[in-house]
Amino acid sequence: MQPGLSFEQAPPISVPFRFFLTAPLFGMAAGLLLLWQGPAALASRWTGVALALTHLVAVGFMLQAMCGALLQMLPVAAGANIWQPQRVTHLTHAGLTIGTLLLLAGFLSEQALFFRIAVPFMTVSLGAFALIVLVALFRTPAKGPTIVALRIAVFGLIVTISLGAVLASSFGWQLALPLTEITHVHAAWGLGGWSLLLVAGVGYLVVPMFQLTQPYPLWLTRSFSVTLFFLLAAWSLTWLPLQRPDALQIALACAAALLAAVFAGVTLRLQWRRRRKVTEPTLLFWRLAMICLILAAAGVALQQLKPGEGEDYAGTPFLLGVLLMVGVFMPVISGMLYKIMPFLNWLHLQRIGKPGLVVPNMRQMIPEPRMMMQLRLHLAALVLLLGAVPLPWLVYPGGLALIASCAWLEWNVVVATRNFARFSRDLEAHLAQEQAPSA
Amino acid sequence: MAEERVIDGRGLMPPEPMELTLTALDGLPDGEELLLLLYCEPQPLYGILKQNGYTHRSQTRPDGTVEVRIRKA
Repeated sequence: MQPGLSFEQAPPISVPFRFFLTAPLFGMAAGLLLLWQGPAALASRWTGVALALTHLVAVGFMLQAMCGALLQMLPVAAGANIWQPQRVTHLTHAGLTIGTLLLLAGFLSEQALFFRIAVPFMTVSLGAFALIVLVALFRTPAKGPTIVALRIAVFGLIVTISLGAVLASSFGWQLALPLTEITHVHAAWGLGGWSLLLVAGVGYLVVPMFQLTQPYPLWLTRSFSVTLFFLLAAWSLTWLPLQRPDALQIALACAAALLAAVFAGVTLRLQWRRRRKVTEPTLLFWRLAMICLILAAAGVALQQLKPGEGEDYAGTPFLLGVLLMVGVFMPVISGMLYKIMPFLNWLHLQRIGKPGLVVPNMRQMIPEPRMMMQLRLHLAALVLLLGAVPLPWLVYPGGLALIASCAWLEWNVVVATRNFARFSRDLEAHLAQEQAPSA
Repeated sequence: MAEERVIDGRGLMPPEPMELTLTALDGLPDGEELLLLLYCEPQPLYGILKQNGYTHRSQTRPDGTVEVRIRKA
């Protein structure tokens, strides 16, 4: 099978795998925090516990996995070469891992010192990552909607990091800043401008490729990322006078939510009309995510249109947070890891092989029933955590299910990593055996 | 006019199209062209082709199908 071609373009497999091995650990930590705090975690979105939970998932799990995937995907899938990939990998992984722990310590202890360390550390490491990736994306000869979406997404990440640094500085040095307004804009860029655009840009490539659907329609791929960017930018500007939401602000937020729902609807339609009706875990993870995205978009629109109702009640933000993070982004990331890791294993094993030597196929890297088990656990976590809004005691089984889902994901990632090592050894031993008689 | 070999990878799960392409390239005589049909630009394949002395031309059909024509440089 292997025709003796070289595969030197792909960065070392350790580059993305360290991110993938770390991300589920922070998901488990979020579950543990839920168990520890119980219903108190739902008291308000502004408590240290709620902020710690949010950042364990958003930075510790989501950003960790997304950065790892981007570092691998840019050279291989987008032809964009990262400057000093090994150093950038070390810096980014340290920034994300230590940075998440610093934020966790800061939010839970309310000690300014942790934020004073986190601000320069995370700004330098994550800011450098974002700038280097942005430069690579502008220098690549590749064109198309994925590249456009990724460029805007990374710009969104820079906005998110900058506003996050401002917020953390205000905690670290007790600065008098309009924290509520900045937090709204920080969260919107983190979830919409960075995460959703990244999912869309990657989805344009991987949904047709791995789920065997038709390509996304041109009207969507040409307009989605640019329109969402301008809606978010205009919406952010409406916060500048520091007034309560006006009609324009509500209209812009509803338009952005509608746009997100359209993307989700188109993705579900493509899946429904796919050419080969193969139902496998990644397809189901994406389907779950897109359904949750539509529900979250409806929730955002309702919250905008009825701003007076339950404004101080933490249930609505918790519901939207669970829908977006546990319902949309964690499933997409899990589903993508189950394609990315086997594909990378296969690609890197090809580099070891030689003509006539059969490389194990992708299905042998992580057994499919193991992926399905994680999907079930994650679905249970999602349903229980959503149920915790009316029935707060459900936060305990919800937290347990989240730990179980992330632990299962971690084990699946470990299985893929071990299989790569095992298959590499087997191939090398086979090659050594072949060469031995002629030596 | 050289004969053209065709691999239709549009209904296949990755990395099957790449595996078929690499196998076909192994036996591709000089002057002959391999046509690969996909629903996306195969960036990983492009890198492999460039490093191994193959050239390619790609264009997108109105239905979204990407045609990749490969031959030895």
